[in-house]
Amino acid sequence: MAVQTTELKPSVPSSPLLDFWRVFSRNRMALVGLVMLVAIFVGAVFASQLAPYDVTTSENITINDIYNPPSSTHWLGTDDAGKDVLSNFFFGARVSLIVGFFAAFISVVIGGVLGIVAGFYGGRVENLLMRFTDIMLVIPDLPLMVVIVALTKPSLLNIIFVIGLLGWTTTSRIVRSQTLAVKSRKFVLRARAIGAGNSHIIRHHILPLVMPLLVVNAILVISLAILDESTLSFLGLGDPTALSWGQMLNFAFGRGAMSAGAWWALVVPGFGIVWVVLSLTLLGHGLEQVLNPRLETHHLTPGRPVIRSEIPWRQETKKGEAPILLDVRDLSINYITEGKPPARAVEKVSFQLHEGELMGLVGESGCGKTTLMLALLRLLPAAGQIVGGGAYFTDKELTAMSEAEIADVRWKGISIIFQGAMNALNPVRTVSDQIAEAIIKHSPPIPRSQLDARVVELLDLVGIAAQHKDHYPHQYSGGMRQRAMIAMALACNPQVVIADEPTTALDVMIQAQILELLDNLRRKLGLSIIFVTHDLGVVAEMCDSVLVMYGGVTAEYGDVDTIYNAACHPYTQELLKAFPDLSNPEKRLASIPGYPPRLEALPAGCRFAPRCPAAFARCASEQPALHSLGEDHFASCHLVEASP
Amino acid sequence: MTQAYFLEVYNLRKLFRAGRPGIFSRKARYVHAVDGIDLNLKRGEVLALVGESGCGKSTLALTLMGLEKPTDGKIIFDGEEITHADDRTCKRLRQRIQMIFQDPYESLNPTQTIEEIVAEPLVVHGLERSAKTRQARVVKALEDAGLKPADTYLRRFPHELSGGQRQRVVIAGALVLEPNLLLADEPVSMLDVSIRAEILNLLADLRKTRQISIIFITHDLGTVGYFADRIAVMYLGRIVEVGPTKEILKNPQHPYTKALLSVIPVPNPRLRRERVILQGETPNPIDLPSGCRFHPRCPKVSEECKVSDPAWREPAPGHRVACLKV
Repeated sequence: MAVQTTELKPSVPSSPLLDFWRVFSRNRMALVGLVMLVAIFVGAVFASQLAPYDVTTSENITINDIYNPPSSTHWLGTDDAGKDVLSNFFFGARVSLIVGFFAAFISVVIGGVLGIVAGFYGGRVENLLMRFTDIMLVIPDLPLMVVIVALTKPSLLNIIFVIGLLGWTTTSRIVRSQTLAVKSRKFVLRARAIGAGNSHIIRHHILPLVMPLLVVNAILVISLAILDESTLSFLGLGDPTALSWGQMLNFAFGRGAMSAGAWWALVVPGFGIVWVVLSLTLLGHGLEQVLNPRLETHHLTPGRPVIRSEIPWRQETKKGEAPILLDVRDLSINYITEGKPPARAVEKVSFQLHEGELMGLVGESGCGKTTLMLALLRLLPAAGQIVGGGAYFTDKELTAMSEAEIADVRWKGISIIFQGAMNALNPVRTVSDQIAEAIIKHSPPIPRSQLDARVVELLDLVGIAAQHKDHYPHQYSGGMRQRAMIAMALACNPQVVIADEPTTALDVMIQAQILELLDNLRRKLGLSIIFVTHDLGVVAEMCDSVLVMYGGVTAEYGDVDTIYNAACHPYTQELLKAFPDLSNPEKRLASIPGYPPRLEALPAGCRFAPRCPAAFARCASEQPALHSLGEDHFASCHLVEASP
Repeated sequence: MTQAYFLEVYNLRKLFRAGRPGIFSRKARYVHAVDGIDLNLKRGEVLALVGESGCGKSTLALTLMGLEKPTDGKIIFDGEEITHADDRTCKRLRQRIQMIFQDPYESLNPTQTIEEIVAEPLVVHGLERSAKTRQARVVKALEDAGLKPADTYLRRFPHELSGGQRQRVVIAGALVLEPNLLLADEPVSMLDVSIRAEILNLLADLRKTRQISIIFITHDLGTVGYFADRIAVMYLGRIVEVGPTKEILKNPQHPYTKALLSVIPVPNPRLRRERVILQGETPNPIDLPSGCRFHPRCPKVSEECKVSDPAWREPAPGHRVACLKV
């Protein structure tokens, strides 16, 4: 079986390091941190070349040289021993950085190993290691360090070891929880299933995913180690033969710099410490954003209002037809990423939803169906922008409303049942609490007793007994959570409910229950429903009309009988053929070769052309328009153009 | 003597302890995930294991894989008893029994390239030590799984592929060891309908060309009709009906099977029909219902069902059902 790979570019050797640098260099904060850190490193490494004076000898120093203010000979003045402060600064950086980096290395290795071992093996090992960590955590670090350093010879090596051996606790706790999270992921189970042992799994599956966190953590540990070293030296516990910034502070403080007014002797080493800690913090924070890009993007921010469309509201409906509630006309939505051409996620999609109508919105993942629905509620992610067309809800133009106006429509006019009921419910609050919140947020204040009654009424409506109302989401089964989500969507008596893949993760039997429930609610409450799904079979039994989307455009739109029995667009036809037909199980299952187009690489012509069995030359070059095929039936395909 | 069956399972049970016994209650409570399963499978046969979530079908698969130790019962694979196999035997067996997981988004390590993912089983088992022959096997497995030309995929990362492509990578990773038995745990339920057919056809082809036996685990009876030879319907840790595919689809006997069949979506509004929608969900497998386990949800329940556990009946050769009403 050949699979089309037209949308794949030839494999470019993609280097993760290069990708990393590309993202990293765009993060200004991280870049500033890195530059600051490199600068101080250069200063430390080339201290002998950069320092104007040799501070290792005390030759040629007289009493007059003590605490000289900054001058042309000593740019940053001199210290209590008459030595050049600028030179001390460079040599001090060496010691501070050496201690910081080596001590942090020890801490991170210990913390990383303990964290991974505890998280991975669990049980008694974990208990033992984590209790040990807890004990280490409650012992105050600094006094213990002071005691140990005071008892041992205050050499640089001792200080490194003491700081390193006491600084691993937070690392081990963070690493353990990350290991626990990675361990429960399916690819670890898959590795076990192929026969991999523990050491293989740790090396190939746990470590690569713990590493980013470890790096970010290491950077923070370094700055803590530098602060620890400065503190110890300031307290006079540093290595007397190795001058560090802490020691500079100690000497200046202990030898009357304050009373002599020699501020430079205190400010310069203090500045060094702040500089390094600040650079590390910036770098760490920036790295975290780079390694965890989801922290920044993916907020559902309210989309900016667009210019009022030129299309007027059309009120006329045919005789005997229910009034139009929702009228979407030529709506286009782009995703805008800096430095890239806009991705045309939705292009010129139109539909009308009548009162009491149930419309199926069908398409594969990535076809723009969720984007279209979010745009109606103006809940697009930050990058999403409505770039053309308009949408009316009754006589109000949704796409031109102010934030306050649209907030009034959300939930009260149009509400949405989000995909994935588990993630859409807050795990630490009871279900009744969350439904009550939806009511309070969108309506004038009502007394507690009425609120409770309303919550019970809503739960009853979706088939959840009142005794379960004060349970937490995790006590509910998948089907019940989905019911709770529906109750929440109904909280403010909306006229239109958008159900975004409400049954996708559910078993067939529960799926049937939810479909039955939605159908009943529609009849009982006169709701209009848009049912978003990738499964044509699901909607066949209850929809009035169906809109089939492909690659961001309307493939076909019509009433349910036309779509299932007289489909004109090859995509609709192929989708229907791909369905298992139980009455004829010997037949080979028809499949649509290839994959849906990626938004960043849309075909020039018809977006379905690369997978279409009926494609001809024109399809590759020209995008077909949406053709009307008789009353309320539209398809965008060159093949149907000739039809009346 | 020729072996009749490639895989035989007798009275397999897997119980999990539900929390520790409390201070006041000595009696430990157990989750009866798999509670007395008999199964057999011929070489090159496809058996569909159908049931709702919580019926124990995934636990059964993990137990057959040796990833969970059975509490009781017997598993015989290719004439060798493997119920309590030691680690070495387990590792050897994993070259012959492979598994495909449900979620192609979660079952691939995002930091590995496709080549590393597919080569991993070879590395783990110390096969094909030379880089060149190893890559040749990876390429072959990818192409067998329908990812052609394979070298355009080798250096890609999972996030660059679509769901269907990822599931093919998972299948390639299972094929690279050339197993005899494939346990496919809901391999298409996370995929779009248009992609599902391709994956199902791929599995059907593999079985034809390589004589791989497949246990296909799913909650959707609709997808199995096409290539399963037999269907076993599971409910609360037990098999309630088993038989040849055609027989089960055309002539279901157990009320549960009938209900499952009736809710399969039919993509034609003209065929809107009566559905048997069971209310409630699979009960919790800690406190099992008395008598027939299905009786609290059964539309045809009678007093007798609440007390006696139904024995197997055989309405047709090879078609067995556990229901008092048959």
